[in-house]
Amino acid sequence: MSQASEWRVIGATVRGASHERANLPNQDAILWWPDDQHGPPLILVVSDGHGSDKSFRSDIGSRIAVERTLSLLQELLLIQPAARHLSAVKRALEERLPPQIVKEWRAAVDRHLAEAPFTEAELARVEAKRGPSGRQEVLDSPRLAYGATVVAALVAADYIAYLQLGDGDILSVSEDGAVVRPFAHDPRLIANETTSLCMEHAAREVRVRFEAVVDQGPSLILLSTDGYANSFINEEAFLKVGSDVFEMLCHEGAEVIAEGLPGWLAQASVAGSGDDISVGILFQSHLANPARDGSGSREYAADDAEILALESAPTGSDLAPARAAQDDAEMRSRFVARIKQRGPSEPSKRGSPDDLVPLDHEEPVDAPDDPPDRA
Amino acid sequence: MNRRPGGELATRPLHFIWIADCSGSMKTDGKIQSLNVAIREAIPHMQKVAAENPNAQVLVRAIRFSSGAQWHISQPTPVEDFKWVDLQADGVTDMGKALSMVAEQLKIPPMTDRALPPVLVLISDGQPTDSFEKGLAELMDQPWGKKAVRIAIAIGSDADHDVLQKFIGHVEIKPLQANNPESLVNYIKWVSTAVLKSASSPASQSAGAAPTTNVPVPAVPTVAPAGGSGGPVTADDVW
Repeated sequence: MSQASEWRVIGATVRGASHERANLPNQDAILWWPDDQHGPPLILVVSDGHGSDKSFRSDIGSRIAVERTLSLLQELLLIQPAARHLSAVKRALEERLPPQIVKEWRAAVDRHLAEAPFTEAELARVEAKRGPSGRQEVLDSPRLAYGATVVAALVAADYIAYLQLGDGDILSVSEDGAVVRPFAHDPRLIANETTSLCMEHAAREVRVRFEAVVDQGPSLILLSTDGYANSFINEEAFLKVGSDVFEMLCHEGAEVIAEGLPGWLAQASVAGSGDDISVGILFQSHLANPARDGSGSREYAADDAEILALESAPTGSDLAPARAAQDDAEMRSRFVARIKQRGPSEPSKRGSPDDLVPLDHEEPVDAPDDPPDRA
Repeated sequence: MNRRPGGELATRPLHFIWIADCSGSMKTDGKIQSLNVAIREAIPHMQKVAAENPNAQVLVRAIRFSSGAQWHISQPTPVEDFKWVDLQADGVTDMGKALSMVAEQLKIPPMTDRALPPVLVLISDGQPTDSFEKGLAELMDQPWGKKAVRIAIAIGSDADHDVLQKFIGHVEIKPLQANNPESLVNYIKWVSTAVLKSASSPASQSAGAAPTTNVPVPAVPTVAPAGGSGGPVTADDVW
């Protein structure tokens, strides 16, 4: 990723066609940072509330999921300027972030439940559909009512982090329009079943991927809840979304995508899965506006791209030093300035820079589960 | 903007498979005729339920087992085009073979991972004469076999409930006992409508939750006068 590379984020969420018929809310959530939609750094998170009979508060659970994940990814950014060792970021991403996301999601869910205990009407609806055992299951495991997935990407100046728990999709598009998935398909995620933040060992199920960008990284990253991929007839038809959006950006600009996205998602839900659909797109700004940074968008050769995919590299290994994209001080001041700009109504409770505690300075996380198994 | 990104859109397939016992004993007391009538009468109700959820494409087929097993309606047929072809009874009860053949069709491919959970309805009046365990194991080896909504209907008092319960695989769901044509019609209609409607709902749920079904199975209708499994035998109970 060159020093001049700027990124943008756009996104949309639509209530599913089947949810409209059943008068159910949109149980997805999407959140990005910063508000001006430009970076790096940029963070994008989507979440899909399960919506099953027992997960009757999953619209709240998904909202909590995107808020807490975004907040923790913001903290991850604080590691970089001080250390310049991407291995520290990678280690925090792999070892600390998964249990912390689960821990903070659980804490927020528990607070919500304490403030708004289940009503008899809610429990009666569960019992009507899933029997007395379903009601008891919710009472025994109340976080089940808030069950949700989380899919996130962070674009920093010299690395990209991906994170996923449960179903949903991430597509990465290279500068020549080739589409790949950062994470392999999880064959367990069929039949509407998904790994979830509400699972007992949720932290083990969080998948993360760290890419140190030495030169040209991905040009576009698309995150979506599973209602989108399920609306296409096959994998190939879904992957075409990545290359088509890339082409549209290059030839028609970002505003066309931003304006068209809600309608495209609604169309996909009606003609496809019927599910809620959320899509967020991170992309290099020059794709949509070649004149802005003079890079000519797609003039460079694919051979220029070099990414260190560090998913399987041992922690603390001799990572190739990433080229510094910004001065440390500049990077930090920019980040802190953005945090300051956030108002009290915005998602993270860590609105003040004074509240920000870098992950690498924290006490060891009291993981709710066993350490994530990355084998 | 005249086009949207991505390839062809499609609703999610929901495979519904009748697995019917056509052994010689099904000829007695009009069982096979009653089964043919029950399924034929259920089709319009099935079509109505499917139409209410346009985001699921219900695809129906049927397999018969007696001496061996054969696909009776082999093509996954859109329910709106589905027509029942009468079954004939003869031979023994090779239930295991039928389950093996269903398992073959539930592999990915030909199945896709974007499908909705299939619905498998096993109807039998007797005891397997082949290796039921082998067939069931092959079925359960497939992800879609495990995730399928598996319903069993026992026709008459000679049906093997233990076998049918193993097929269902969930303690909370019991085989439905049909002791007369009316109860068979009611159960076939229930599985064609209430169960189908539930299976076509796209709601997600957490994996690894309590050991229950991934599709809520609606309350079984009370069938008068035969009653459910273990219910009192009445004068209308001809099987």
